Amino acid sequence: MAQPVLEWQAGTVTAIRPETRQTKSFTLALPKWMAHRAGMHYDVRLTAPDGYQTERSYSIASAPERVGLIELTVERIADGEVSPYLHDVVVTGDQIEVRGPIGGYFVWEVRLGGPLLLIGGGSGVVPLMAMLRHRAAEHATIPARLLYSSRTQDDVIYRDELDAMAAGDKGFEALFTFTRQAPPGWTGYQRRIDGEMLHEVIKPFGEQARVYVCGPTLLVESVANALAQMGLPIERIRTERFGPTGV
Amino acid sequence: MNMDDADMNTALMVDGNAVAGKLMDVFGRDMTMAVARCAACAREAAMGALMAFIRAPGIVLRCPTCEAAIARIVETPTALYIEARGATFLRLPRE
Amino acid sequence: MAGLISRGFLGRRRPAEVENRLPPGQYLVTDWPVLSAGPTPHTPLDKWSFTMDGLVGKPVTWSWDQFQKLPTQTYTVDISCVTKWTKLDMKWLGVTVDTLLEAVEVDPAGKYVTAYSDGGYTTNVPLDEMTKGQAFVAYQFGDKPLEPVHGGPARLVVPHLYFWKSAKWIRGLRFMEENEPGFWEQLGYNIHGDPWKEERYSGD
Repeated sequence: MAQPVLEWQAGTVTAIRPETRQTKSFTLALPKWMAHRAGMHYDVRLTAPDGYQTERSYSIASAPERVGLIELTVERIADGEVSPYLHDVVVTGDQIEVRGPIGGYFVWEVRLGGPLLLIGGGSGVVPLMAMLRHRAAEHATIPARLLYSSRTQDDVIYRDELDAMAAGDKGFEALFTFTRQAPPGWTGYQRRIDGEMLHEVIKPFGEQARVYVCGPTLLVESVANALAQMGLPIERIRTERFGPTGV
Repeated sequence: MNMDDADMNTALMVDGNAVAGKLMDVFGRDMTMAVARCAACAREAAMGALMAFIRAPGIVLRCPTCEAAIARIVETPTALYIEARGATFLRLPRE
Repeated sequence: MAGLISRGFLGRRRPAEVENRLPPGQYLVTDWPVLSAGPTPHTPLDKWSFTMDGLVGKPVTWSWDQFQKLPTQTYTVDISCVTKWTKLDMKWLGVTVDTLLEAVEVDPAGKYVTAYSDGGYTTNVPLDEMTKGQAFVAYQFGDKPLEPVHGGPARLVVPHLYFWKSAKWIRGLRFMEENEPGFWEQLGYNIHGDPWKEERYSGD
């Protein structure tokens, strides 16, 4: 693939969209945009007037088919350094320094085939959404399933888009599980992802599934262990751990 | 990793994907696809799949099988240090 | 490493009321950040031991039960981590290195100490910066047993140096002829590490 843009560049915020109480999506126009592969991320760097700098990585939410821009979906972490700034201070027209796209390990593209099983918790759904948006943009018929764990229905990012995607595409199904409180009348999963749930979800796909797991480290560790115990070939599983946010 | 030992330290652990940018600074290319063979246990893993401890004074990348330190990276204002004695080799795919 | 100044980003702050207690370049925290170079070791107490060896007449080892019987002291100290956080008034209970030294005869050549821990971590401190109450092996924090995630069952605490010198999960002190760089000192960190002189990196 082409070399990523290694230098920092100033992206311009062209849109900010609230997704849930705690998450917002930022659209950045990049002067040196290059097509990413779904699953990759950009590093974001902030510099204070006294020279103090801090950096964080954010997964790209948008499909590479959207030329010239990237969308980053960011969860606001209460005692964080960068996310509160992005949420509370940044407005459209502001410039943010970014570098990327980065991370060829955790990527999926249509030519890799499927069937595709995406497992995410909390903001771990972001790179998985890029994969689904890429799949949709290519009008791919590769069977795909998303198993998405959230605390409550108010925490589900991209809910409307996922519902519409599933309604319009027989090859895609979104399965939600709620760990703190399910919506009234909910008949679906209502617990942390466990071996039994994974067994059911992966059943139609079997051992051929390409699996991507992303989210808080404890969720990823638990899912990866369960998948290994189920005997899934390790080469078919890719993981990305986000650290300590809880789901 | 044994989930019975789960604690804040485990929760803070990430993986090689999180340090892809730093590895790019060191090696000049995406290293998440590079495969490291652990000098301690001889198992191989993509650098994107290594356990990464990133909140220390530096970054420590560990073997997901045996937890031995495979590589360490330190950034100072004037230099970038990398030490990878814990890897028998790094195997990079040709582009 | 100049960057585009991010409009409205102020970085970390140093509250005026504690300004004189924060070493240069540090900011104040009120929680206790967990920083680690590896997974938390979990040595059961019945397998735990603490050893003083190297350039000593005769090495000595304490079991956990034996270690608990040693006289202790409480310390309330400010701690500075090289990653720039400082936490004030941390209350510890532990055994001073002075007490431990009563059990061994250190060779005159043994002027330096390497602290070694479960998980392979090491760090180095001159012996004369560990005596006279400057260092202790702590097993309680805030009147409770030290949590594994913060270095329990026992860790070294050397409050006058950056906190990477306060080795978590410590299992022993080795007396050395040379000041041998430990885990982080080998990789660009200052061999001494005084926060008030901002000795973060080698060459500082």
